Amino acid sequence: MLKKEQNDLLTQTGPGTPGGRLFRSYWLPALLANELPENDCPPVRVKLLSERLIAFRDSKGRYGLMDEYCAHRGVSLWFGRNEEDGLRCPYHGWKYDYTGQCIEVPSEPEESGFCKKIKLNSYPLVERGGVLWTYMGPPEKRPPLPEWEFATVPPEHSFTSKRIQESNWLQAMEGGIDSSHVSFLHRGDLNSDPLFKGAKANQYNLRDSRPVFEVVESAGGLFIGARRNADNGNYYWRITQWVMPSFTMIAPRGNHPVHGHFWIPIDDENCWTWSFDYHPMRALTAEERRAMEEGKGIHVKYVPGTFRPLANKDNDYLIDRAAQKAGKTYSGVEGIAMQDASLQESMGPIVDRTKENLVSTDNGIIMARHRLLRATKALMDKEVAPPGVEPVHQQVRSAAVVLPPDKPFVEAAKDALMVRAGVAHASV
Amino acid sequence: MHRFEARSESARAASAAEARFRIDAPNSRPRAIKIVALDRQSEGVVNRLAEGAFANATFLTVPAGAVSSREPFSMTGWLGDVAGHTKDLLEEIDGADQVVMIATAGEPLHAASVIGEACSLKRIMTTALILTPPSTSDEALSRSLAQLRPWSLMLVIASDEDYIADMLVAMRA
Repeated sequence: MLKKEQNDLLTQTGPGTPGGRLFRSYWLPALLANELPENDCPPVRVKLLSERLIAFRDSKGRYGLMDEYCAHRGVSLWFGRNEEDGLRCPYHGWKYDYTGQCIEVPSEPEESGFCKKIKLNSYPLVERGGVLWTYMGPPEKRPPLPEWEFATVPPEHSFTSKRIQESNWLQAMEGGIDSSHVSFLHRGDLNSDPLFKGAKANQYNLRDSRPVFEVVESAGGLFIGARRNADNGNYYWRITQWVMPSFTMIAPRGNHPVHGHFWIPIDDENCWTWSFDYHPMRALTAEERRAMEEGKGIHVKYVPGTFRPLANKDNDYLIDRAAQKAGKTYSGVEGIAMQDASLQESMGPIVDRTKENLVSTDNGIIMARHRLLRATKALMDKEVAPPGVEPVHQQVRSAAVVLPPDKPFVEAAKDALMVRAGVAHASV
Repeated sequence: MHRFEARSESARAASAAEARFRIDAPNSRPRAIKIVALDRQSEGVVNRLAEGAFANATFLTVPAGAVSSREPFSMTGWLGDVAGHTKDLLEEIDGADQVVMIATAGEPLHAASVIGEACSLKRIMTTALILTPPSTSDEALSRSLAQLRPWSLMLVIASDEDYIADMLVAMRA
C-alpha cells in the first residue's frame, strides 16, 4: 500500500513534478536510431515525460530533439520540411536548427536579427548502441553518457525493440522486479519460447516451484535474488538487477542472450517499454534475431507501421480461452511481453495503490518504492544526484549461479554482477 | 446479435474513466503482524518502531543468550514486549499473518531457529530483515545469513532502518 500523495509523487513525471525531476536526472532512451535512418529524413513526433517533442536528423547527420510546435503560431513541426541543416515550418517558413535555434523568419528583414530571439526548448540527442538517448534535465547537471552494456557491445551482438504500453511507467516497472509472478503467468513459456528453452536452469525452476527471495540494496538500485534448491545442498540463484529509476535486467538462461527493459514515461498514463537482448561474447545467431523480430521472448509483434503491440487492449489482447484451459498459456494471452502488459494495463492507467494488499514476496517492489521516494526527496531537498546516474551503476549484469548455502549472493557472485570485458555472463 | 463496438471491453474497462468506478470499499480485513527483534541492537530499532502508528503490529523482543535446541525449554514467558511484559511464543504467534524478524548483521541470532520452528509448526509466513551497519564484514553477514536463511521465506538486507517502517506501512501493519 502507498499513500495517495506517495503514489502521485512516483507516478507523475511531467515538467515541474518531483518525479519528473528524478527522471530528468538521467539519459533516457528516446528513439530507435533507425527511426531517423538518414540525413534529412522525415521528422518523428516523440512524447516523453509529458512533453511533446519533435526529433529530426539534419543534413550533416546531427540529431535534434525539440519542442514539437513552431514558435510562431503553434503548428506541429511534424509537417516540417527537413532541408539544408534545419527543419522548416511549412506554414510561414520559419526554420530551426538541431538545437532549436530559429535561423530564418522569411517575413522579417534578415538584418533585423529577429530570428535570433526565437529558440525552441531542445534537448541533446545522442546515438549509442542503436538507440537515441536524450537528457532532459538542467544542462549544468548533464551526466556522462550511458554505459549500459547492451548499448556498448558490437551491434551484431544486440537487438533492441520498443513498444507502447498503455499504463503508467511504475506499474510496468514493478512487474519487472516482481519475480514471484514468473512461476504462474509465464509457466507455459519457459520450455517453449525459443529464447528461453533448453537451459539446465529451467529444470531447477520446474523442480522447485517455491523460490525464496532475497532483496539487497545495490549502489544503483537493488539486487533481487530468487533462490531454489540445486544439487549437493547448494542453491541455484537467479539475480535480477534493478537500477534507478527504471532499468531491469533479468537473469539469463543457458547460453541464450541476456535481456532486460527500460520503462520510460510518455505521459502519466502511457510509457515506452524498451526491451533489449544481447550476448556479451558473440553475435546473435540468425535464428535468435529472427525470433526477436517475430516477437518472441520479451519482444512483441506490432500493428504494422506502429510500435503498438498487435495484441492490445482494443482486441482484448487476442485472448485464447481454449489455450488457457489447455494449459498452453496461463492467462490465455500469448507471449511473455503481452502476458505482462495485458495484466499491467488492466490495472487502469495509474493503479490506485491505496487499495493494494502487498505481501512478503513483494519486498522487492516495496524496497524499490522506498529507494525512489528517498532519492526524490534527496534530489528535491538537497540537490543530491540520484543513484543510477553514474556509469559505474550502469555497468552491471544479471546472473544465474549456483552457490554454497551460507554465502551472501552479492559477495559470492560479485564478479558475475559486474560487466567484465571479454568474459561471458554467468548463466546456468 | 452482438452490437458492434468500436472499443472492446478491455479498452473500455481499463480506461481512466472506468477506473473511477472501482468499488470504494475495504478489500481486506486487518492483518496481524509480529515484529521480533532478534538481538540487542535490533531491540532499539523495534522500540523506535513501536512508537509509530501501527494498529496491526505487535513489537516483541527475545531474551539474550544462546538457546539450546537440544534441551526442551518453556516457551511460556520467553518473549517480551516493548513494555517489558513477558509473552508466550506459541500463543503470541497463533493467528498471526506474518512474523518479521529484525536482525543486525554479525550479532548472535540464536532465537531465529526457535521462532522459525514455531512459525513452521503454525504455518506462518516469516520475513527476515537484516540491518547492515556500515562496518559489517562479509563474514559477519555470512554468519547471519546461515542462521536466518533456514527460517525465513523472504529475506531483505537493508542499509537503513527507515525501510522497516515503510515495509510495515506497505503491508498494512
